[in-house]
Amino acid sequence: MLLRGSGQHTGDEYSFTGIMDGESETGIPHGRLLTRFADAVHAGAFAAEREEVRAALGEEALADAAGVIAIFSAVVKVADGIGIPLEDFKAETSASFRAELGIEAFKRE
Amino acid sequence: MIRQSLLDAHDRAWDRLARPGTWWTGAERVAISAATRGALSCAYCARRKQELSAAMASGAHDGPHGGLNEGVVDLIHRLRTDADRFGPTLFARYVPGVLSAERYTELVGIVATITAIDTFDTIMGRPLRDLPEPAAGAPSRKRPKGAAYDQAFVPMVAPEAVDASDPDQAAMYEGRAGMYIHRALSLVPAEVVNFFDLDDQMYLPDRQLRDYGTEYRAITHAQIEFLAARMSALNRCTY
Repeated sequence: MLLRGSGQHTGDEYSFTGIMDGESETGIPHGRLLTRFADAVHAGAFAAEREEVRAALGEEALADAAGVIAIFSAVVKVADGIGIPLEDFKAETSASFRAELGIEAFKRE
Repeated sequence: MIRQSLLDAHDRAWDRLARPGTWWTGAERVAISAATRGALSCAYCARRKQELSAAMASGAHDGPHGGLNEGVVDLIHRLRTDADRFGPTLFARYVPGVLSAERYTELVGIVATITAIDTFDTIMGRPLRDLPEPAAGAPSRKRPKGAAYDQAFVPMVAPEAVDASDPDQAAMYEGRAGMYIHRALSLVPAEVVNFFDLDDQMYLPDRQLRDYGTEYRAITHAQIEFLAARMSALNRCTY
């Protein structure tokens, strides 16, 4: 929702499919590089991608990107560990793209 | 160059890890931190991650355990390495049989804090911080009176149920929208304050999230939100 809001503010149109499949064009500046960086961190081998981000965006941007990746590796543990639901208004406004992207298929035990 | 405000937030979080919490002592909080780190090199966790069902696997976890009981160590390792499969059935294995909802909630906050800081240092190629020396003292054992079951595994404090005379409760939603992610740890208000002190610097404070006209970081709002969404997807988080 915040990504959508950001795009509406700047007049840019972003595709959400790339968030899920990691391959489709998103329209985000350096989106493909950031996708590869996030995916590589998640997979545990990211030295090459880190250097690419540093070269393309600079050291401060690398640190800020690392901060977001790291805190969202943690936020998901809070959300999953406590089992919080999605707010009703978020569920309503995001229903179509959540269904389209297959988010509801994530399995819980 | 790493923002000083971000490094300062990490320092504050590290200091808090060592202090007595609300339901765990300083020594126990540091032991939870050590076990959280240990989970990443645990052979059993690696095997369990490959199982079709996380509930079916059994085995023994590699150390350190730091005096924590096996059930608590199992929970810590599960949250650190396999949280995306964590649901009500698994939750019921631990609460209330292994630990109380209050101790559980504080533990989740500690695991999340260590995960955030260690992941950041690892990405940046910085050595992991030495775990802090535990501070002496007893947990405060203050349970918010307004905590009630809503739709999560544990009771939470709705913004309208906050007791403003309690400094931790008064602080936990200050400048925040009171969304479920803010409420998640609210059974232990100090953990809300702790975690979002970190979150404000590594992500963005609430007041800056929708201030699209100003960029507060060296990456744009769109890039921040894209990375946040991608990490949520990779971790199969439905929230």
